[in-house]
This record gives sequence, C-alpha cells and structure tokens, in this order.
Amino acid sequence: MNHQLLHIFRNSPLGRETLLQSMYFSKQVKISPVIYIPKSTKFLMYFENDVVQIDLDNSYLMSSDTALEHATEILERAGIEPRFLEPKHYTASTLPDIHTNFDYMSCPRSISDLSSKIGLGYIGARVRRIVKSAQFPVLITSPVYKEWESIAVFFGGSVNAFNALKVGFRLCRISGIPLDVFTLLENKSQESYEKLIKDENLETEMSRYVNTWHFLRNKTIEENLYDVPHNALVVLGAYGHHLLKTFVFGSKMEKIQSTISNNLLIVGPNYTAAI
Amino acid sequence: MRIFQSWRYPANWTIFRLDDRLLLILVAIIVGNCSGLASVILNRALMAMFNWFHHLHHYWWIFVLPAIGAALSSLFLEKIVKEGAGHGVPEVIYSVSRYGGLLRFRSSFSRIISSALTIGSGGSAGPEAPVVISGAAIGSNIAKYLSLNDRQRVTLVGCGAAGAISSIFNAPIAGMVFAIEVIIGEWKSVHIVPIAIASVAGTEISRILQGNQIPFSHRLFNISQMDIFACVGLAVLTAAASILLTRLLRSMDKTAKKLPAPLWIRAAIGGCSVGLIGLFLPEVLGKGYHVVQATIEGNFSQGLAIVGLATIAKIVATALTLGWGGSGGIFAPCLVIGSLAGLTYHHGLALLWPSVPWVNQGCFALLGMAGLISGMLQAPLTGIFLIVEITGGYEVILPLIIVSAITTSLCHYIEPAAYYMKELVEYGHLLRPGTDARVLSDLNVSELIEKDCIAVTQNMLLRDFINIVKKSHRNYFPVEDEETGHFMGIIHLDDIRQYLFNPVMYDTVFLSQIMNTRVEVVYPDDDLSDVIRKMDANRLFSMPVVVNNRFIGLISKGNLLDQYRKELMVQTSQSI
Repeated sequence: MNHQLLHIFRNSPLGRETLLQSMYFSKQVKISPVIYIPKSTKFLMYFENDVVQIDLDNSYLMSSDTALEHATEILERAGIEPRFLEPKHYTASTLPDIHTNFDYMSCPRSISDLSSKIGLGYIGARVRRIVKSAQFPVLITSPVYKEWESIAVFFGGSVNAFNALKVGFRLCRISGIPLDVFTLLENKSQESYEKLIKDENLETEMSRYVNTWHFLRNKTIEENLYDVPHNALVVLGAYGHHLLKTFVFGSKMEKIQSTISNNLLIVGPNYTAAI
Repeated sequence: MRIFQSWRYPANWTIFRLDDRLLLILVAIIVGNCSGLASVILNRALMAMFNWFHHLHHYWWIFVLPAIGAALSSLFLEKIVKEGAGHGVPEVIYSVSRYGGLLRFRSSFSRIISSALTIGSGGSAGPEAPVVISGAAIGSNIAKYLSLNDRQRVTLVGCGAAGAISSIFNAPIAGMVFAIEVIIGEWKSVHIVPIAIASVAGTEISRILQGNQIPFSHRLFNISQMDIFACVGLAVLTAAASILLTRLLRSMDKTAKKLPAPLWIRAAIGGCSVGLIGLFLPEVLGKGYHVVQATIEGNFSQGLAIVGLATIAKIVATALTLGWGGSGGIFAPCLVIGSLAGLTYHHGLALLWPSVPWVNQGCFALLGMAGLISGMLQAPLTGIFLIVEITGGYEVILPLIIVSAITTSLCHYIEPAAYYMKELVEYGHLLRPGTDARVLSDLNVSELIEKDCIAVTQNMLLRDFINIVKKSHRNYFPVEDEETGHFMGIIHLDDIRQYLFNPVMYDTVFLSQIMNTRVEVVYPDDDLSDVIRKMDANRLFSMPVVVNNRFIGLISKGNLLDQYRKELMVQTSQSI
C-alpha cells in the first residue's frame, strides 16, 4: 500500500462527499490517501513540464479550525490512518508548492469556481490543466457519495484509451471488482478494435480481467451511455485522436462527462500506465 | 496534422538532432526578442505615466499619488492575476534551482503592469526586476510549449532574463553576465552561447524601437592614483549603504507583515510615506534616472549635507516602496543611491583635502553605482559591466573593479547572501547545479528504495530465521506483525551475532526478543538531506522506509552514493 492519492480537503458538506469518495476509492484499490488541508487559497503544483497555480474556491478555507478534526474523523471512520500533507517548500511566502509524486489525485469537477457551478458537463479549467499535466490519473468524483461495484472502461483505440484500459486492468487486478469495456462502433468494425488489442499484446489481459466487452451500436454516444451501470467507476482517456488532442479534451470525453454522473477516473496524456 | 504535431516537438527535427545547441540558439533569438519587447513596453509605459503626472507635481496632494499607484499595483497582483509572489528575481532563481525553470505564464505580464503602476506613480523602485521575471517567464513558457527538457528550459529562462536586462539598459554584456552570474549561477558554454544571442536580440529590439542611446552619457575623466586609492573608502561607504538598504528592506517587510491590514492598504501606506518624503526631496521619486544623469554630468549642485540626506532618503523610500508591498526592482534605486553615495563621498573628500585635485564628482557617482549594484547583488561582474555599458566609461574600469570587488567582499562578510538570495539561502532553496544540496534535491526517497528485503514475523523462531538468512544477501530484515502486517522493528545481523553462533538459542529465542524496536524510519516524502542527517547522527548505513505503518523497503547509503554519483555526473556534464 505504498501508492498514494492526493486529496485536497474542502471543509464543507460537498467536501465531505468528495473525501468519502476518495476513502472508498483508496480502500478498493488499496492505496494510501494523503490529505492536504489548504491554509491559503493559492498553491502551486509543479509537474514535469508545467506549473499549475491552483486558485481554490473560498469554501476550501471555510471553518479552518474544524477542518483537521472533520477530515480525521472521516478517515478514522473509514479505518484509514490519517496522513496530512504539509507543504515543505514555498515559491513565495503565501504560495506553497504541493509536490506531485502521487499515483492518483481526487477532486470534484471544479476546485477554483463556486461549488454552485459544479454540474454535469462542467469541468473547471484548473482540473483540466491538472489532467493535462499530471503523471497520474485524476478521480473526478460524483457530487454525492456513491459506492461503485464495477469498473467501466471506455476504449476507443487512442494512446490514452490504451492507458485507460491498462488502468482498468490494474484496478480490477487489485480490487477484484468486475471490469467491463465499452467501445463505440462508429465507422469501424468490431474486428478492427479486436485487432488493436491484439497488436498491443493485450489479449491475455482482456480475457483475464474483462467481464464483457460491449460494442455500442447506437448512432450517438449519448444514446449508448444508458448501458453503463450507474454504480460503475468510469475510466477513460482525456484526449482522443483529433488534431488538437494535446490542447482540448476529446469530444467523446466531453460527451461522457456531460451525460453520466458516475465517478470518473480520467487518464491524461502524460500518464504512462502499467498493469 | 503531422506538420502541426511536429511544430510542438522541434527537438525531433532532423536539423536539431544533429546538434541541439542550434535549437537553443534559434529559440534564444525568439525569447530575446520577446523579452526585449516586454522591456520596451514597460519603458514606454513609464514614460507615458511620467508625462501624464508630471504637471501635477506642484499640487500639495501629490504625495497620495504613489499611495494610489502602490495600492492599485498590489490589488492587481493579489486580486486580478493572483500572483501571490514577491519582487520577481528570487522567484526566478527559486524556480531555476528547484523546478528546472518552470514559471507561470501570468508572470510574463503581471509584473510589467504592477511595476508600471508603482513606479509610474512615483514609487521608489526600478523596472529591471519586473522585466527580468517577465523575460524569464516568456523563456520558460516557450520552452514548455516546445516540450524542451529541464536544462534547455533553464537556459531559456536565462535567455529571457538576459534579453530583458540587455534591452532595458541597452547593455548586452551586462544582460548576459547578470543572467549567468545571478540567475543560472553556472558558467558553461551550453548556457553562454544562447544567452549571448538572446542578449543581442533583446538589445537590437530596444535599439530599433527606442534608438541606440547610452542611458547615462558623460565626459572623460582623468583618474589619478590618488583617486584610485580613494576608491577603497568609497567601497566601504557603498558597502555600508548596501547593507543598510538590505536590512531596511527586510525590516520594512517584516513590519508591514505585522500590520493586520490587507496588502493593498499596506502598499498604500508605504506609497504615501514615499510621497511625503518626495514633497521635500523629489529626487527619491520614481526610478530616478534623471538624478543619476545629473550626478554623472556634475550638475547636481547641492552641498554635502543635502546629498547625504538624499542618499539616506532614497534608501528609506526604496525600503518603504518595496518593503510595504509595492512592485518593482532594486537596480534603479541602487544606481540612484550609488550615484548619490559617490557624490557624498566626493564632497567629503573635497572638504577634508581641498588641495588634492580629485577627479570630477561624476566619476565617483559612477563608481558608487557600481559599488551599490555589486554590494546588493553580490555579483561584481554584473556591477562592472553594467556601469561600463550604461555610461560608456571604459576609462574608469580600474577603479570600477576595485570598488566592485571590495564592496562585494565586505557585503559578503557582513551579509553572506545577496539581497535576492537571502530568503532562498535561509530556507535552503538556493540549489546551484553540481552542489551537494542540488544533487540531493533532485533525488527522492522513492527512487532509492530497495525492495529485495525479506520480511520476517515477530513470533518466528531464531532457527527459522537463520534458514531465511542463508537465502538472503542482505544484513537487514524487517519484522512485521503477523496479523496486521504493521512494521514492528528491524533485525540487523551485526546486532545478533552472539545468538547466531549459539545453537542453544535456536529453538528458545523468538525474533520479538532480539529485534530492534527503536528504529529511526524514513517516509517517502522525506527530504534526502534529512535522511542523510539522520543516518549520520545515528551512524546508520540503512534505514527502513515505512508508509502507513507498513514496511516498503530499505534505503541504504551505498545505493544513495551510486545514485548521487549518477546525478552529479548529469548535472556537471556539458551536454544538454
């Protein structure tokens, strides 16, 4: 259990839901959560080729005197030893640096905007920057605590989709939770996707870990998403094949996050997955 | 699509694969031009603001203008761009030291606007530090966009700083020397060539848009040996002024932070105080280049007391502006304070030894400028080249070297760290390449963990343990709780030799009886410098790494030394 998940604690009812999701995820995939209780609304995350300034929504600093107590209580109830992150380095006296040597990060759909903006179809600019720059997958939690009993990986054949698939295999291997793969058949045939898997030498893992490989045949992705179990952790790559794939999220990713309210584990372009 | 993709990764282009220095040189031209342009924009903005506000200077209420400018500057930085940072240069050095020169995009323009508000309204500060961080951030973000590696990015940060200084002073050599001596701290050809190119590009942009003018022209000086001897005294005076400015800046900063008021109010208080000083001594307002020009040309006609008072007032005004939250740099104030200190010294010499034919007062003003820059930055070469270039006064090179060298040494003796680096040194953030601290900071505990250890349980008999020892090549064995898997302690073979060679003990001793439970442990987040300190203090060669009460591996001095050597070789090699 030496893998770690970074969680930025918001001392509010919404923050409690997010922390509960993080605890559930950590227990399922046997990782250790590290909680950062912010003392200022700004901090920096230095990634390998980017520095992201996180300007937190003011609600993160709400009732700072009870934040530690609340977070500890939730962790202890979940049977997890509380570990809190204290920044060691500061770019400026009011600007702490949060290191990025984590294996996962958990956050709601937005951390810089008012929580009233959080809803389907909206992922905040800072969360997008983190997904783009991070070398770890980002767990975007559903607004209310929701246990997941299966893993659903969206696979469309891109490099990030393969990474998402490998993450799905790993989560399935560690947690023992059933894994389903969903592929939208657009202009391609089922065989072409199977060939992609074969070319990547992932046939063995597919047969070992995947419960069902669903090929979605409806015209639009939105019509197909009802087939995704409501209590599944959805794993998907953030960027697809298109021209601006390193600048904006893929169109399918946008449609999925606009349509379903499941917990999303998003794999960015700088993450290299191992099974 | 392929063409578009290839733009993002120029390091993969065939031409740059042959020699990636070509890539840096090409990008350095772009960075130098952009940072030079940023300097020109700030310069033009300051000129425009000077023209707007100049006709208001006869009104009694003008003292509130610096307060308004400083407050707006602080509000802009805090509320609009949310910078949350200081004057700029320390942030650049910090980023170069610790994060391969990664700087935020917003830094490429934020300080230009904030310092224009502070200085343009009369705050006592200079435009150089803001353009340095802007140029450096431009270099960093271009490197980021092109997906260049850390060392290339650091070079481009230096290019940005060099281009900015070169442009604002029309001084390419000073820009280059400043970037290498202060920002990068590493004299290597891989840095020097692109930085030199960026300096030329930055200077050219300035010359095209603003004309090729020496900022402070002067007449020739006839320097005698007496003047050169007198330089020693001037160096002492400039060192004292540097120390006073450094300490006053820090004490103002501390005092301001104690005030329970928003940043913009603190900045306004500082600005207002400067405005009040400016009512009586207008020389302290703004960047003050007209004062420098007057002193060098010998047109500053005030007597010893007034000049001395102006020197002190400028030091106080600068500390009030920057220490209380205004935005700007210390280059320009240093030039003004240095020139006034030189003038004070000249007046003092003339008063004490009126029969000696001392060189013109302008020469001492010029030497004083070099002394202040060298003393504050503790970067003598930057001081020397900057003064030579901005005054065109190569004939003063000998006394310049003397003043710069002595001032730097004296300041270093009293204040071991330069103004820009004081906080970085205090917090252990000044990590120059090839130094012990830098090598250790680039390694982390996680990459040094050795996982090939065999864990044993506390209820294991010594006989069973010996069977495990036979199969292992390690001397350390972590002991875990059978049920929870929690780390209980460690067995080091050296500590239990008397049991190992006594067969009577084999079936009577449990590991719980002989394990060491008072073990210093390491966490994956620990700094390696702290780990080594613990190892040295306790004379340990290996330490267990523990997460959530679970043993995950060992960290040993042997492995650490291997990785240390590799990292040191990477950092000290010439290749990019």
